[in-house]
Amino acid sequence: MHPINWVIVIGYLVYVVVDGIRRSKGTHEIEGYFLANRNLPWWAVGLSVMATQLSAVTMIGTTGQGATDGMRFVQFYFGLPLAMVILGVTLVPFLHGARVFTAYEYLEKRFGPRTRSLTSLLFLVSRGMSCGAIISAPAIVFSAIFGWPVWMSVTLIGIPTVIYTMIGGVQAVTWADVKQMFLIVGALIAIVVVLLIQLPVSPDEALRIAGATGRLQVFDFSVSATETYTFWSGIIGGTFLSLSYFGTDQSQVQRYLTARSVDEARSSLLMSAYWKIPLQALILLIGVLVFVFYLFQAPPLLFNPAHERTVRSAQAEEFAVIESRYGAALGARAEAARAMAAGRTAPSAFLSADSAVSAVRAEALVLAEQATGTSSRDVNYIMPHFVLNHLPLGFAGIFIAAVMAAAMSTIAAELNSLATATVIDFYRRWIRPQATDAHFLAVSKGATAFWGLFACVVAVFSATLGSLIEVVNRYGSFFYGSILGVFLLAMIPGARAPGAFFGLIAGMSTVAAVSLGAPQISFLWHNVIGAVTVVFVGVVLSALVRGPGSAARAGG
Amino acid sequence: MRLPDSGPAALMNGSPKFRRTLARVMTVQIVTLLLLWMLQARYTA
Repeated sequence: MHPINWVIVIGYLVYVVVDGIRRSKGTHEIEGYFLANRNLPWWAVGLSVMATQLSAVTMIGTTGQGATDGMRFVQFYFGLPLAMVILGVTLVPFLHGARVFTAYEYLEKRFGPRTRSLTSLLFLVSRGMSCGAIISAPAIVFSAIFGWPVWMSVTLIGIPTVIYTMIGGVQAVTWADVKQMFLIVGALIAIVVVLLIQLPVSPDEALRIAGATGRLQVFDFSVSATETYTFWSGIIGGTFLSLSYFGTDQSQVQRYLTARSVDEARSSLLMSAYWKIPLQALILLIGVLVFVFYLFQAPPLLFNPAHERTVRSAQAEEFAVIESRYGAALGARAEAARAMAAGRTAPSAFLSADSAVSAVRAEALVLAEQATGTSSRDVNYIMPHFVLNHLPLGFAGIFIAAVMAAAMSTIAAELNSLATATVIDFYRRWIRPQATDAHFLAVSKGATAFWGLFACVVAVFSATLGSLIEVVNRYGSFFYGSILGVFLLAMIPGARAPGAFFGLIAGMSTVAAVSLGAPQISFLWHNVIGAVTVVFVGVVLSALVRGPGSAARAGG
Repeated sequence: MRLPDSGPAALMNGSPKFRRTLARVMTVQIVTLLLLWMLQARYTA
């Protein structure tokens, strides 16, 4: 990468740390450190919520998905606006009005300490591991592209984030998120403009070519529990997933607990409701346009440069043969695309040429898998390859900085929420309830540093821990919907503590049974199954047994 | 600590400003989905 691009990246990293620390006003007590004294404006909270959701995987993985699979992934977000509206009138007033630090703290007031500790522990385990995965995804891509060891990429992303999150608390996290969101959206818009300028065909022709391959097929109305992205799984499963994520995950709940009032907290969530689908559609459309771009500009046979280097040295002759066939197939496809765009031939000729290119590439991917012994899936490398090789000077630096911004905003929010749950739900609740605010503040900073280092270690060893991370993520999806079920149960007046606790265990067990017994069922439905099971079991058990619940509600 | 009332009326007690925002959100969603539908209808065979 050109030195000017590196200057942009390093300048961004220095700026985000210095400004994050500068913004850390009012963080002398834990209320300020974790909740910014509940005094942040709705627009800053709203941008922070959006930045937290937008991870580095969105920047590099979702664009790659747009290039290979098209726009249909956007259906995943169809339930989000509805979920935001539901949360705005249900959980947000509950949690904001209860003046709690964590979502799980509210559950103790309703169902006792056992349910609170279990849900908070589930959050710590799953988020602690996923935070490592969030750092490792871009770190592995950077390592492959720039030839760095993984620890160096992890350090570059992880350490600045830990520093500003630890020193500045939620104020630093939120204000850094605001700037990171502008950088991310600015970089995306700049890429669209550059793409439209560089394409040798008009935007209308580009879309006609992409449409012929099915990449502009947004809606799939088929009724299938096994198809991951359909209109119905997006609307129903997506609503439950968004309700779980935004309503019960501390990394999200903590964002809107910092808002000045219930109305401002609601408005901050509605910002995501406004912009999430258009933003995701834009990101996927960029991927689609990159696909069209590579119809006229020869793409590499393997997008992952590390794999390409390995295959070239391990199986040079075989690779050279495939490469020459690939070149010929690309030439034929480019000609067919031009002919189709000009209306000289039917789409079938272009589609046949495109299939020929895909077939040759599939052979190269098999070769890469044999040579490296790892998965040759290279969707995450399509966008970085385009950015580093085809964007004008400076744009690559902005894009790399934007990918780092996306990673850092997500990691910072998670570290801050992990520290909050550790200190409030465990340390203050069980170990030192009477300690001073200054003591809790020092412990909170220590907890942030601990979780930051834990996430960096998980990220560095992600290759070795690969299956473990997968297991944790998989089990994480077992309890997402179930935790939502507990919160829904909390809003049912007759629900009691034993119903909530055993309902939660029943919900997780049911999702585990469905996931293991019928793995073909899309994970989006797991949230629905978990939440419904918890509510059903919880209501039935509450009717059968007596326990704290209604009394806690009435007594406050 | 007193917890907020959980009755349906209390849950729906958003200010007029919030209700207007809600209407705008739903309008934006419908327009977005219509635009995506038009994109698909125009360019997908």
